[in-house]
Amino acid sequence: MSDVKGKVLKHGEQTRTMHWLHLICFLILGLTGIGFYWNIGWINDLFGGPANASLVHRWTAVVFTAGPAIYILLNFERFSKFIDTISTFTRDDIQWLKTMGGYIPFLKGKVPPQDKYNAGQKILGWVVILGCLLFILTGFPMWLWRHAVSPAFLDFCYTVHFWDAMIMMLAVLGHFFLAAIHPQSRVEFSSMMLDGYVDAGVTAHHNAKWFANLSKLE
Amino acid sequence: MVSILAEKGGITRRQFFKGAGVLAVVAVVAGVFAKIGIDMFKVSDDYIAKRAAGLYTLDEKMAIRKSHENPEIIQLYKDFLSPGEVKPMTEKAHHLLHTRYGQDIPALLEELRHYQGEAA
Amino acid sequence: MNAVEVGIIRVTSSCKGCDHCTSICATGAISGEMGEKHHIDLKKCISCGQCLINCPFSAIEDTSMVDTVKRALADPDLFVVVQEAPAVRVALGEEFGLAPGTNVKGKMYAALRRLGFDRVYDTEFAADLTIMEEGTELIHRVFKHLGVAGFEHAGPLPQFTSCCPAWIKYAEDKFPDLLPHISSAKSPQQMFGPIAKTYAAQKLNVHPTKMFVVSVMPCTAKKYECNRPEMMASGYKDVDAVITTRELAAIIKEAGIDFVNLPDETADNLVGLSTGAATIFGTTGGVMEAALRTAYELLSGQTLGKVELHNVRGLKPVREATIDIPIKDLGRTLPVNVCVVTGIKHVDGVIEEVLAGRSPYHFIEVMNCPGGCVNGGGQPIRRDTY
Repeated sequence: MSDVKGKVLKHGEQTRTMHWLHLICFLILGLTGIGFYWNIGWINDLFGGPANASLVHRWTAVVFTAGPAIYILLNFERFSKFIDTISTFTRDDIQWLKTMGGYIPFLKGKVPPQDKYNAGQKILGWVVILGCLLFILTGFPMWLWRHAVSPAFLDFCYTVHFWDAMIMMLAVLGHFFLAAIHPQSRVEFSSMMLDGYVDAGVTAHHNAKWFANLSKLE
Repeated sequence: MVSILAEKGGITRRQFFKGAGVLAVVAVVAGVFAKIGIDMFKVSDDYIAKRAAGLYTLDEKMAIRKSHENPEIIQLYKDFLSPGEVKPMTEKAHHLLHTRYGQDIPALLEELRHYQGEAA
Repeated sequence: MNAVEVGIIRVTSSCKGCDHCTSICATGAISGEMGEKHHIDLKKCISCGQCLINCPFSAIEDTSMVDTVKRALADPDLFVVVQEAPAVRVALGEEFGLAPGTNVKGKMYAALRRLGFDRVYDTEFAADLTIMEEGTELIHRVFKHLGVAGFEHAGPLPQFTSCCPAWIKYAEDKFPDLLPHISSAKSPQQMFGPIAKTYAAQKLNVHPTKMFVVSVMPCTAKKYECNRPEMMASGYKDVDAVITTRELAAIIKEAGIDFVNLPDETADNLVGLSTGAATIFGTTGGVMEAALRTAYELLSGQTLGKVELHNVRGLKPVREATIDIPIKDLGRTLPVNVCVVTGIKHVDGVIEEVLAGRSPYHFIEVMNCPGGCVNGGGQPIRRDTY
């Protein structure tokens, strides 16, 4: 596939732990949320009824909030670099979006070299950050201030929380498809879910700019 | 030979300010959100005072502002409740306009049936 | 009786279990953990409807008597009369896009006539009647307290108001010892019913069985009140059906009436004329102010120059005031201590003082809803955000 040999460490141990934690929390939160929002009996029963499902939802939310918060505090450098990467949009990123990274067959055109994350991943990064922020900002008032706030504000929180959940579930499904199923990109699966490494050849192809940078520093 | 490439530690000024900036924006967004909540709470009950003010304004516009000066009330007492005079709490008024509460209701029901039997 | 068994207030399947209502309910009638559908215990529920107007998902509903009213209006044999509570006229317009507090009294009468009611009267008339009876009762209780001969049979002081059916059920359920303190006078709605079916029926030459009394109320507890078994003083069910401000607005819209452009009309005479004292019944402190206007003049024999009593107004949950009333018959001045409670959550402290015999008050007004009837459970639901 490539003439470059070796491995690249893409995600450190704490990053991978945080990702796993967030993933598990997201699944539990999504499942319980769907369960009691639409009052689906068997999902609620998995957690011991709607009241308990709600309890699980709320305490999982605490982990869901505290996990990344602690990670950011412990890994501020990593976080800052991540923000720097995903907030940098160059002409190459625009071109990547125009060709959709070559994932869509009828969109022809040369896919430009990408940084550690391609333009799609950068957008996903922002969606996840904003989505989680909205979850936290609307979720905790629903729980802790439910007796104190006005009905209009509660309704607002529930509506925002619901649509946020819909968008996030779709975004995460897409993320899952590209990262774990799609043959062109599933090679990266193990870097986040298992040992943190990606094949250097793949990296040189998918994240050419980042790989060039790493090689230069070496 | 299998070489391993990894990012080096240390961040640039730009990276630091971007990271810190995002955290600051998160804090500001949270503050703005809380402000929206508090503002919504503050105005959520304003309509009560407005409706009450509507009633007080209506009261000020009324020609008669005291119950005992209502001519139809005076007529009701003179014609019906206390014939010939204005006297509240007559026996008739007691049956029609007064009630009892809680455990006294069965006795009241009995009394009402008796009264209606007499009247019929 | 069926409505009583089913209850007036119910949680529908739209309940999201947000648990906001359990903090609104003063009697603990609503049970349910966050996340599960909540349930209302009918034994504890006082039908006030505060949970209904505060539910973020409109998942709480009240029993409707709209169909009964429509059937009565369509029945040519029935003589349908209607009464409207004071608080309705400053809120009904909101359902047609007018600002809260807009006075639509004249348009309300006009709309009711167009809906086919045979006579449009006014609960305010009955409110004046309530003041006559309840004010006199207060005077009797004060005289008994002062040791005046001839008033030995009057009840104890302080006297509580009895206009609010949610408050009455609250007291019956929780403080049975307090009941002798509550004025025996019925609420204006239930005074109007028997007067309509006796006095008005005689004057109009309508047989009481052919008369159908509808009331338009800002309140869901009034639906419960009209179904109480003892509310048949006329020999028939005194008030046949109760609809809320919201339901009246819905009926007006359904009938295709252009409410905002209706001309201002007046109520029919006989039992329809009202005073300013009755108008303010719709807000907290209003019954107190109205009662004091009448009690002052009857006791002192003097004309009250300034009728407004600003110290009983406002939205503070518990307010108190002292009014010096010169009593002509006794030749002395009595400082009358009054207290106004709005929001049933705040009444317990006042009641406990009364039961312990430490209460300094002569007259206490209690309204279940915060702000009084203007914020009743049957009023238009507002979600003001700015």
